[in-house]
Amino acid sequence: MKRRRRTEILIKGSTDIAKKLAQEIIQNYNVKTIEKPNNGLVMIKTRETAKKNLFYLGEIFVTEAKVQVENSLGIGIVQGNNQELAYHLAVIDAAYNGNFKEIKTWLQILLNEEKSIMADNERYKNSVLKTKVNFETMDV
Amino acid sequence: MGYVAVKGGTNAIAQSIKRLKYNRIKKGEILSINEIESGMRGLIDQVMSESSIYCEELAAISIKQAEGNPEEAVFLLRAYRSTLPRKHYSKVVRSEDMTVERRISASFKDIPGGQILGASYDYTHRLIDFDLADETKEELIQWLENFNKEVDIIEDSTDINKLPKVLDYLRSQGLISDCGEKNNEPKDITKKSIEFPTERSERLQILTRGQTGAVTSLGYAALRGYGDTHPTIGELRVGSLPIYVDNPLNNDHDDEDSFYIGEIKVTEVETLFPASEEKEDGKVQMELEIGYGICYGQNETKAIAMSILDHCLEIGDPRYPTHDEEFVLLHIDSIESSGFISHLKLPHYVTFKSKLDSIVKTRKGE
Repeated sequence: MKRRRRTEILIKGSTDIAKKLAQEIIQNYNVKTIEKPNNGLVMIKTRETAKKNLFYLGEIFVTEAKVQVENSLGIGIVQGNNQELAYHLAVIDAAYNGNFKEIKTWLQILLNEEKSIMADNERYKNSVLKTKVNFETMDV
Repeated sequence: MGYVAVKGGTNAIAQSIKRLKYNRIKKGEILSINEIESGMRGLIDQVMSESSIYCEELAAISIKQAEGNPEEAVFLLRAYRSTLPRKHYSKVVRSEDMTVERRISASFKDIPGGQILGASYDYTHRLIDFDLADETKEELIQWLENFNKEVDIIEDSTDINKLPKVLDYLRSQGLISDCGEKNNEPKDITKKSIEFPTERSERLQILTRGQTGAVTSLGYAALRGYGDTHPTIGELRVGSLPIYVDNPLNNDHDDEDSFYIGEIKVTEVETLFPASEEKEDGKVQMELEIGYGICYGQNETKAIAMSILDHCLEIGDPRYPTHDEEFVLLHIDSIESSGFISHLKLPHYVTFKSKLDSIVKTRKGE
């Protein structure tokens, strides 16, 4: 599973999933911390829709961690102050970058979590669409 | 005339700071960060927007320290921001990718995807609900449970993650000129002080982090005759935008290889202004021009006012103050305006003495 989809599931889903997957690597390998979870900013580049220019909307506060497992580097970045999750994301990232054997069993776990996120999204959608206006033309 | 160094206020300052803490806690109640985050959505959104840093928790802590004073909370957050490293730039965020929770148009009744009211004060009576004074946690939990149970299956295929834009419809009809995407790197006003005339990217960055009240007031002034004509809201949407960062270990900018880092809630507005354009054959043709507004959180008044000011600054009619970029852009920043006003409290003993001397001299006829 590619990084974009994987990180989306791990961040939107339960933090227990990231913890469980990272623990597998931590137990089986020597995880070297390159950069402890630390705070910083990501500047948000945005395209406006009037003249379709790019501009900077503002910054988002993040936590970032970097680890090395075997010869594989891993990066974890997540919004807010979330030290544990950033570290777990970095460990999981290293496992994928190194194509470790553990990731084969992770696919189903991630797909199940994705289904759960999609079900939540569907409930959210239904809730929001309850506020959709159903116009009726009045006879005057 | 030189400056005179004085001392003697150290103890008084220490006691003043102590008294400030006393004022915050003297009623014996502790306001938890979670309570502020949960119940002060509007203030948190305003503070995040004006400080230009998206983090609800940090905003809540600042609001607590500032006793709910947004100007002070924004100051605290901007100061903290200056201590943090900027680690990355996001991939380009597009509002077409917004998960919409509210979306209305004042221009068209029927828009693709429909008018979705979401959560808004607009449809309330604005009568104080005195029952809130006696609200209990048990009642709230019960209400929440009931709300969450009301999950009906809606026979509606609208995809709130990919709602079409009203502007795209107008562009397809030729009512708005279709400009291509411009990919010039934006200027960053946090890296370099602005010089006039500014670029569009600088104007939008300053407007979006402007003080809510200042942006609203100048936008209002523009409508009242000190600027643009009356616009119509083409589309106003509130929702969440996903943020992605390119893989720093790989330079190919592959979308699938990027990091998802989270999402931000924003309000985005496109307002429509009728304008006339003289064609090559001398004929005058009417068309629509767009004003653009966007800000962190749900702050619709600010986003609409920003869109008005954006259009004013694009036109730049010298007859109106709200079209003057120096007048608008240098006066709407919370830190700049409150900082300069506050500096008047600092000792001006020497300069004032000098003024006083001049007054006395003129009185004596010297």
